Amino acid sequence: MLFRRIYQFLIVYSIGLISLLLIKTALSLSDYVIPGFGLILETFQEVFDTYFLDAMNTMSVTVLGQCVSIALAFGVGIAGRRSSWMGSFIKVTAYNIQAYPIVALAPIIFILLGDGFISRLLIASMICYFPLLLSVLGIMATPVEDIEHFYIITGRMRWQLEVKIRAFENLSKLTTVISGSATLAMAGTIVAEFIAANAGIGYSIRVALYQSDLAKILIALFLIGIIISIYQGCLETLGEQIKTRWSVSKGGNPR
Amino acid sequence: MKKKRIHILAVFLFTALLSVASADEIELNYRLKWLFNTSVAGDIYADAKGYFSEAGLKVHVREGSPEKNAINELELGHADFGVASADQVIRALDKGAKIRVLAQLFQVNPMQWIYRADQPRIKTLDDLRGRNIGITFGGNDETVMNTLFAKAGITSKDVKITGVRFDFTPFFKREVDVWPVYFNSQGVILKDRLEKEGERVYFFNPADFGVNFVANSVISSEKVWKNRPEVVKKFMDALLKGWEAAMDPANEADVLMEVKKQDKESNDELRRLQLIATRELIKPSAGVKIGTMDVEAWKQTEAIMLNEKQIKKPVHVESVLKQ
Repeated sequence: MLFRRIYQFLIVYSIGLISLLLIKTALSLSDYVIPGFGLILETFQEVFDTYFLDAMNTMSVTVLGQCVSIALAFGVGIAGRRSSWMGSFIKVTAYNIQAYPIVALAPIIFILLGDGFISRLLIASMICYFPLLLSVLGIMATPVEDIEHFYIITGRMRWQLEVKIRAFENLSKLTTVISGSATLAMAGTIVAEFIAANAGIGYSIRVALYQSDLAKILIALFLIGIIISIYQGCLETLGEQIKTRWSVSKGGNPR
Repeated sequence: MKKKRIHILAVFLFTALLSVASADEIELNYRLKWLFNTSVAGDIYADAKGYFSEAGLKVHVREGSPEKNAINELELGHADFGVASADQVIRALDKGAKIRVLAQLFQVNPMQWIYRADQPRIKTLDDLRGRNIGITFGGNDETVMNTLFAKAGITSKDVKITGVRFDFTPFFKREVDVWPVYFNSQGVILKDRLEKEGERVYFFNPADFGVNFVANSVISSEKVWKNRPEVVKKFMDALLKGWEAAMDPANEADVLMEVKKQDKESNDELRRLQLIATRELIKPSAGVKIGTMDVEAWKQTEAIMLNEKQIKKPVHVESVLKQ
């Protein structure tokens, strides 16, 4: 899973890079517009250390932001799973708020909270929170009738058990959603850094853009891509392992 | 029926005449460096007052931004002329771009720093020590400030550097003492806002301390410059005529009206103050011809960038200055 993610990214990145170099050759463009391969390699050696640290900085905010949003989404999703008025209210509110483009709020967040760590974390978690919430709400609000029925009839149903059943019966769906939300969290962090922060790979891209340095931007994109691929691959592998262990503990076939 | 036919014929002839007239016009794209505002009053005025069409040109004046870079557009053929700062030009030359500089619009660089008058005045570079100075990392203000530091022997321990963006809050909250601004746009806005609060301000101009970093200039590709000299001449004559007229105080009301049509963000009084400030930078004295190249300043700009390792080798920028 992990390696598949990495080589898929490498293939896509290489195709993009080759296309750019073909355009450069076809239109006889200077290194200022599209850098040549030699210049990209040279820039890679120059900025790799700094950009790698910047990308890891962004990644740390991404992971933290995603954890916050997962916790929030599960909290609200569990509270909103019931068909009571409270559950319906939470669902309707979530559907309506998620329609609002969160990025548009970023400047207000930066004015109020400054351009430090908290603003980046908040924007990252907000951007990945709502899509995550909608999926969690959908999963938690849908009963797994053939299993739940037994517990309801025997009077042993508790809310914790209900949540457990629904979560584990939809484990692959949840794994996919959580892994997908990593990209959103990363995008949110980069957008935040690009708009106003003073750290992270998004900020480095902004600086490179001021200097019209496409070579630096390409290297930043490479690092973002490779790091997010590894992270997503790890999340998917973890999800697979949890699923396997759960199936084995139930005495079922892991596949 | 006959009357109707005559009408149709007249409309047809009129349309045909119009299209013949417009077919004679040479269509050009002109990419500015930034958004429409008073800083580009001359470009707006040349277009609005028909200086281009008088020269037989139909010029599409387009706004710029960090993403809409004139040099890229010249190479890609999306623009015929553009505006770029000296650091962009020198960086592009370092990477093999074939461009020519046709006129230097700003005789004084608008990139300056603002600070409150209740702080000690910066009379020498040593007065920068101990202050919290705002810098746009990656911007040309960083290069200029680093040069000033090197000149005064100031190290990072002697000052506090804060990375800044477009949000002025840290300056208003006094978290940053000395804030980078474009003298004729943000400088005017900040000065106005602080004066309304009863605070006076000073500007710190690097040129007063011997650092002349060239700002915006009109550029074209080597291809256009070599192959279409008559178009280059027509365009530059019309553009500079527009700028001369726009900077003439006698045309102030008219210029402000034309700028207002394009820039609806600022209020009338701010636009007027911005125009006065722009005049000081474009035409510092009556004797200065708009567009004059300050070759020594260009050479100094290149030397600064070389020293700051922003370019890898000398580019001999003076060889691409064509007037």
